[in-house]
Amino acid sequence: MPSLRELQVDVMHALLDGESDRALEHAVPLIAARGIAPSHLLGVYAHTALTNFTESISSSFPAIRRLVGDDYFRCLARGFHARHPSLSGDLQPAGRRFAQYLLELHSDNEYRYLGEVARLEWLIQETLLAADHGPLDLAKLQQVAPADYDDLRFELHPSARLFAAPFPCLAIWEANVGSDAEPEPIDLAAGPDRVLLVRNNGQLKFHPLSRGEQDFLQSLQAGERFAAAVERGAGHGELDAAHGEFDVAQGDARAFDAAAVLERFVLAEVIVDFSMAALV
Amino acid sequence: MTDRGVRSDARSGVRSGARSGVRSGARSGVRSGARSGVRSGVRSGVRSGASSGACSDPRNDARNDARVERGEPGSPMSAMAPIGLRAGIGLRARHHLQVLSDSPAVAWFEAHTENYFADGGAHVEALARIRARYPLSLHGVGLSLGSADPLNTLHLERVRRAVQRFEPALLSEHLSWSSIDGRFANDLLPLPYTDEALRHVSTRIAQAQDYLGRRILIENVSSYLQFDCSRMPEWEFLTSVAQESGCGILLDLNNIYVTARNHGFEALRYLDAIDPRAVQEIHLAGHSSMEFEGRTLLIDTHGTPVCDAVWDLYRAALLRFGDVPTLIEWDTDIPALEVLMAEAAKADARRADAHAVAA
Repeated sequence: MPSLRELQVDVMHALLDGESDRALEHAVPLIAARGIAPSHLLGVYAHTALTNFTESISSSFPAIRRLVGDDYFRCLARGFHARHPSLSGDLQPAGRRFAQYLLELHSDNEYRYLGEVARLEWLIQETLLAADHGPLDLAKLQQVAPADYDDLRFELHPSARLFAAPFPCLAIWEANVGSDAEPEPIDLAAGPDRVLLVRNNGQLKFHPLSRGEQDFLQSLQAGERFAAAVERGAGHGELDAAHGEFDVAQGDARAFDAAAVLERFVLAEVIVDFSMAALV
Repeated sequence: MTDRGVRSDARSGVRSGARSGVRSGARSGVRSGARSGVRSGVRSGVRSGASSGACSDPRNDARNDARVERGEPGSPMSAMAPIGLRAGIGLRARHHLQVLSDSPAVAWFEAHTENYFADGGAHVEALARIRARYPLSLHGVGLSLGSADPLNTLHLERVRRAVQRFEPALLSEHLSWSSIDGRFANDLLPLPYTDEALRHVSTRIAQAQDYLGRRILIENVSSYLQFDCSRMPEWEFLTSVAQESGCGILLDLNNIYVTARNHGFEALRYLDAIDPRAVQEIHLAGHSSMEFEGRTLLIDTHGTPVCDAVWDLYRAALLRFGDVPTLIEWDTDIPALEVLMAEAAKADARRADAHAVAA
């Protein structure tokens, strides 16, 4: 008599590792033959495993499914399942590596954008499922002396995700989830995407970013001090000094730019908290 | 700056779609092959919601309490709205908004635990609001209690968090396995009914109960195959697991019917073997069938009305087990809420009939 583990290993092999006779050879003898062939019975379960998985991927990547069509999407899901089966009793994370899978599959052809759009779709998932957080407590911020701002560590909303790609992925995504109508053609050369995703009050929002803003927010997200984040943001010279009245620090035009950016993302509830950097 | 807002509700079905797929995909896949026409309502909701560009979807009787042997430290029963005797229905994401806007006269809801694992978002918010108005049961599909792998404490912790958050009156899982060596089939696979499996799954259920600080109910699954090494019938295995682990039993009468038909035994024999004191909940659902070389295999699709034979079994169960909280489960081709409520009303009528007979 096989041990429980031996039985389960053989059955799982039959369910997940293809429909070849070889995958079934150890599992079939384990099954009491009373009518329907054991291979058919195992096939019912194998089919269920793949279908569950495919459904999960499909619901996580609706734009990809629409872009490639149902038939090819099922092919992609089958290939992805063979390489990256579910590692959790919760199917939601099953698509975590799907974008990377697509990027590798189409690394050197015209469909490279598919993987990038999939990367955006996965970030949308993360944004929609992240914890809630209220806006930044301005009264608390006002208690900080301006001279201490450099040492603040600002925190982004738990749902905030930064996305950058060499293609206009957001436009592609919107065209493929917004309507059943045939989307207008999108020029892949229309430019790169730099965008911040955040969920506020149940709304998924996309904030287009300059390169400086992207680096600034990335630095904050990495837990760097405000001064370090400003330095990174200003490294591109793109911060717009024309607006913003947040008097973070005096004089320095670079700091003034940072104040405008800070204000924008505080008001947009992207920057939602802060702490003083530990004095080391 | 123009922010392009998209209602997150429209896509929040994504989350639960993933989860409900465990059950719906399981069944729909078998029924319809790889065709997508049988996507769960949750997923259809994702699609249609996104398409419209708007927000679319997004007994406890004394006996029960007395049998909560492991206690519920830090979680007073008063915080948990008790589940009454009227039949409840399975909560699916496509009905969230209707439930919240219409407050339909549903006795209680049962939700799939894994659908609400997220830290935030439309689904967990909806369940919290529904929970504030209705008694709730949480029903897990992913703990893989029968697996020979170590107990997945990460998953268990998420269940614990959901229990803290939603304070369900009942908490249940399945007498099955779905993973080995860390790989998951995300389906409810039958166990071999051996002494080793009995000891193993009983120990793990006890571990889960200790971790969660409360008793759980364990449900019998439908099965399409039996293992040659099984040494006892499923009812004996289930009864022994309940005795050894201290868990309660969630008896799915449709699963008993499907399994009985597939393996050629009398469903009533199953009922007669179950200790009435252990049964804390009953599930009713529909099934479908497939043909293999002229032989019929019943498939647990949970996508059709409860069949007459299962209603007859329900009557027998009521006479044997007394009035037990009953749930209408529907996981694929999810119909309008009113259809589910009509099935629940049918169950309530059967309960009244059985009472009259018993009296």
